[in-house]
Amino acid sequence: MSTIQGEPFIINIGPQHPSTHGVFRIKATVDGERVIDAEMVMGYLHRSMEKLAEERTYTQNIPFTDRTDYLSSMSNNLGYVLAVEKLAGIDVPDRGQAIRVIMAEFQRLASHCMAVGAFTNDTGAWQTPIMWCFREREKVLDLFEMTSGARLTCNYMRIGGVAFDLPKGFEEAARKTLAGFPQLIDELDAMLSGNEIFLARTKGVGVLTPEMATNASLTGPMLRGSGIAWDIRKADPYCGYEQYDFQIPIGYNGDSYDRFSVRLEEMRQSVKIIQQALDRLPGGPHSTQVPLALRPPKGEAYARVEGPRGELGYYLVSDEGPSPFRFHIRPPSFINLSALKEMTVGGTVADAIVVLGSIDIVVGEIDR
Amino acid sequence: MTRELTGEELAAAAERLVPGSVARTEPHCCYIKPEHLRETMTALRDDPEMDLVYLANLCGVDYWDRFEVVYHLHSFVKNQIGTYKCETHDREKPVIPSVVPVWHGAWMQEDEAYDLLGIVFEGHPNLYRIFLWDGYPGWPLRKDFLSMPGGLQPGLNEFAGVSRRGEPPVRMTE
Repeated sequence: MSTIQGEPFIINIGPQHPSTHGVFRIKATVDGERVIDAEMVMGYLHRSMEKLAEERTYTQNIPFTDRTDYLSSMSNNLGYVLAVEKLAGIDVPDRGQAIRVIMAEFQRLASHCMAVGAFTNDTGAWQTPIMWCFREREKVLDLFEMTSGARLTCNYMRIGGVAFDLPKGFEEAARKTLAGFPQLIDELDAMLSGNEIFLARTKGVGVLTPEMATNASLTGPMLRGSGIAWDIRKADPYCGYEQYDFQIPIGYNGDSYDRFSVRLEEMRQSVKIIQQALDRLPGGPHSTQVPLALRPPKGEAYARVEGPRGELGYYLVSDEGPSPFRFHIRPPSFINLSALKEMTVGGTVADAIVVLGSIDIVVGEIDR
Repeated sequence: MTRELTGEELAAAAERLVPGSVARTEPHCCYIKPEHLRETMTALRDDPEMDLVYLANLCGVDYWDRFEVVYHLHSFVKNQIGTYKCETHDREKPVIPSVVPVWHGAWMQEDEAYDLLGIVFEGHPNLYRIFLWDGYPGWPLRKDFLSMPGGLQPGLNEFAGVSRRGEPPVRMTE
């Protein structure tokens, strides 16, 4: 009786596949159920935003940043306006800073809801957790609609502050929305953290050592899941994050489960930050006056924020013109994919789906 | 707060680790000679005093007369960030050594810079057009590549007198 010999076989995961969270393709070479090689194919959503931004004024570029990472438009707006403010040396009033923090943290809650929900969906916890997450996420989007007029692509931040002051009744609505989150996180925790099937699907899958995570430039929950307590809100505070009391959750094993639990814990911390920001919301103007066709002095600036997916950086070069000479986005989703091959090779095809879910990619940001 | 290293500090560190590696120094950044780039970057990563273990960002810039590759390097322990650069003046075939052997995270970012700016990273394990397809005409982020036919600038037409097409006469490709 001879053993059956198999041949390596190439299987396409994507481009149109629910587990790729967008139009993204993994060309996996499999031997039976094992992945022996994985190649990423991307660019299906490439819009060349960096080129388009060179032909528009600094203010006109804010809506582009909404459309890179469409699940966290507030954080993207924030990263870009911080870079322009750094370049032009513009100060933001205290109220503007506090509103930015509130919006960025609400965005983190909404984005992590999506991340955790979609990840549990990928592991086979079919539909229930994602519906719970969407229930709360909708309420956050309602708040965004109330403030900026849009739910997904908010275009709310402006150079020198925010577009509008908070509407009447925002604080009350925000506290009401916030009150639902601890319950959601506890529910998810109770349902998943000790769930045997969930543990079997995620523990020890896609393990990243701290050295590997550092060398591959990973950021956000990926880096913290591997045990490196690095959060730009703590290490390089912007918008007055140093005034708020919060902790950085980290994982110890660097596997998909740790990345999931880091995200859950980050949601708790975000709730804490928003409550503090609402409690001491300063009065005064929400924005400073900035010329519409801003011409920052010659120079360059690299500003970054801790987006929901990691370090979101904007590198701007100015030649004193009305538009950026160079506009570069450092997208966390794109660079977090650097280690995808290392995490998937050797595992099964089903594990590759879990690993991809745990990275939490947004394809609009990968391709830009 | 993260400390941003000045050009002098960056140049002094590079010069201490690899003598003769610095090409020139600006107030906020330091240019490394291409022939010493990989050696210097490895030394900066491993040096306990600089400890620049983390490549935060890598991107290319076209300045008409030269191409620059910008490296934002970071230390977790020291909480400091530094900007190193490497430049090439050859517009026909810009070549910069790859830093993939130093940081795995440079892999895809170098692919991106090759795809959009046409900078060839020597020693890169798999340099290919990551977003666009093979045979795409031109390099979109170069300044002589027009984003719209005829050099239209829809965003800037709103503002009288701020058009930007008065720049050096390089052969335009549409």
